[in-house]
Amino acid sequence: MESRTFILKHVLPVSRVERYWKGLEEGKIYGTRCKSCGASFYPPQADCSFCYSSDVEWVEVGGEGVVECFTRIQRPPQGFEFAGSGYTITVARFGEFKVMGWFKGEGLPKVGMRVKAETGRDESGVWKVYFVPT
Amino acid sequence: MRVGVIGVGCSKFGVRRDVTLQEIAFEAVKEAVVDAGVSREDIELSVVGTAGTRSYELMPAVPVNEYCGFAGRGPLRVEAACATGSAAVYAAYSSIKAGLVDVAIAIGCEKMTEVDTATSLAVGGRGGSYLWEFHQYGTTFPGHYAMHASAHMARYGTTEKQMAMVAVKNHRNAARNPKAHFQKEITLEEALASSYVAYPLRLFDCSPISDGAAAAILASEKKIKELGVDNPVWISGVGYSSDTANLSRRKDYGGLMATVAASRMAYKMAGIDNPLKQLDVASVHDCFTIAEIMAYEDLGFCRKGEGGRFIEDGGSDFGGHIPVNTFGGLKAKGHPLGATGVAMVYEVVKQLREEAGSLQVDLKNYRGLTHNIGGTGHFGWVFVFEV
Repeated sequence: MESRTFILKHVLPVSRVERYWKGLEEGKIYGTRCKSCGASFYPPQADCSFCYSSDVEWVEVGGEGVVECFTRIQRPPQGFEFAGSGYTITVARFGEFKVMGWFKGEGLPKVGMRVKAETGRDESGVWKVYFVPT
Repeated sequence: MRVGVIGVGCSKFGVRRDVTLQEIAFEAVKEAVVDAGVSREDIELSVVGTAGTRSYELMPAVPVNEYCGFAGRGPLRVEAACATGSAAVYAAYSSIKAGLVDVAIAIGCEKMTEVDTATSLAVGGRGGSYLWEFHQYGTTFPGHYAMHASAHMARYGTTEKQMAMVAVKNHRNAARNPKAHFQKEITLEEALASSYVAYPLRLFDCSPISDGAAAAILASEKKIKELGVDNPVWISGVGYSSDTANLSRRKDYGGLMATVAASRMAYKMAGIDNPLKQLDVASVHDCFTIAEIMAYEDLGFCRKGEGGRFIEDGGSDFGGHIPVNTFGGLKAKGHPLGATGVAMVYEVVKQLREEAGSLQVDLKNYRGLTHNIGGTGHFGWVFVFEV
């Protein structure tokens, strides 16, 4: 037998990190830094998990990043059918921030490869970070 | 006052379209109750561990608890992703240790094949921080470990062949375990010829999507004496830890900090300073082959970066330094999330009671370990058992 259809779709509360999502539309990537203790956060967050201050500043992530790890997803999950033959998730370090993104270069990245970050929308309309080799 | 395991049970793992979640839990619970030699009424608290979502029963603890005859005694429902089973054992253990009850049962159960693979991947991919990982980048559970594998390979020279050797060993063990999901051996060539699921992990590097249940009955030392149980397996070490939800916030991708921290906590409690010399068997978290290689290192079976060599040299096989995943591991025995941690207890208890048949290890210390990870080091649990 089959169960009744059950659709789960959530509304995402992003008002406290709106700057981040606006930044992506402007080609900028932001993290946050706690003004009280200096802890930095990427992905950005409005509260400091270490000293409990809610006074954080927005800091642009820039410059050249270094790839720390990656994978090529060959079997996309539900919701990523648009990605067809797959996509390459990569984590790169940009100074105090480590950033996740999709690798846009030819073939696969390498650990240690230098990349720069761009922003863009995927085919489903979601804004994200892309990496291209420098 | 010590706490001991007095009864264990485990269902047949695999694609179990023949049973509901409560029915598969019943298989494990019945075996555990018979094994313990207690009556259902002796059990004062039931803990139901299930990660959930992939089964049609979204609030499953009460249906499972009722079906197993424990209505009115619990259930306490716990969830810790793939380490749910260990969290259930801990809840039972700590309730007894605190003196609240004398006998408790940990039931780990999971039905994962009631949804299709793409849906299952979408649930597992939400195992970190949804908004920043799955929503934006479509992370999957194989992908999380594949990222660690890419770093491990780059830094330590670990090879796809070494990872495949973990799969070959665990399939070889599962072939002799009638409860395993896959009861067949595979060759290195077959493993290396399988397609990539999430580069650099191939299909044969991945544990299957399995249904299954396991149960463990724990009791206080006082109650064990009172009941006249003559083969208790004592819990002598407990350790737990966790790490960031966001993978991008990890310091390092060459290992799991949660394993290091949890194992050191458990070793300290159990008085272990040389795990290879003081343990006879280990059931470790090999949801992917790279996970077992990292576990050798993070549990202190070998130095960091030497996990690939450890499997190559047979260190984790029967007759090696320490037999690991003697019942086939998550890789080949199967990985029904909620059941896994409890099924590890089942394995180590059977080994320490010398009831493992053709999979029996040689016992010198009569001490074994379980190592259960939730997510990609998002949760880490280690238990040490001894007789």
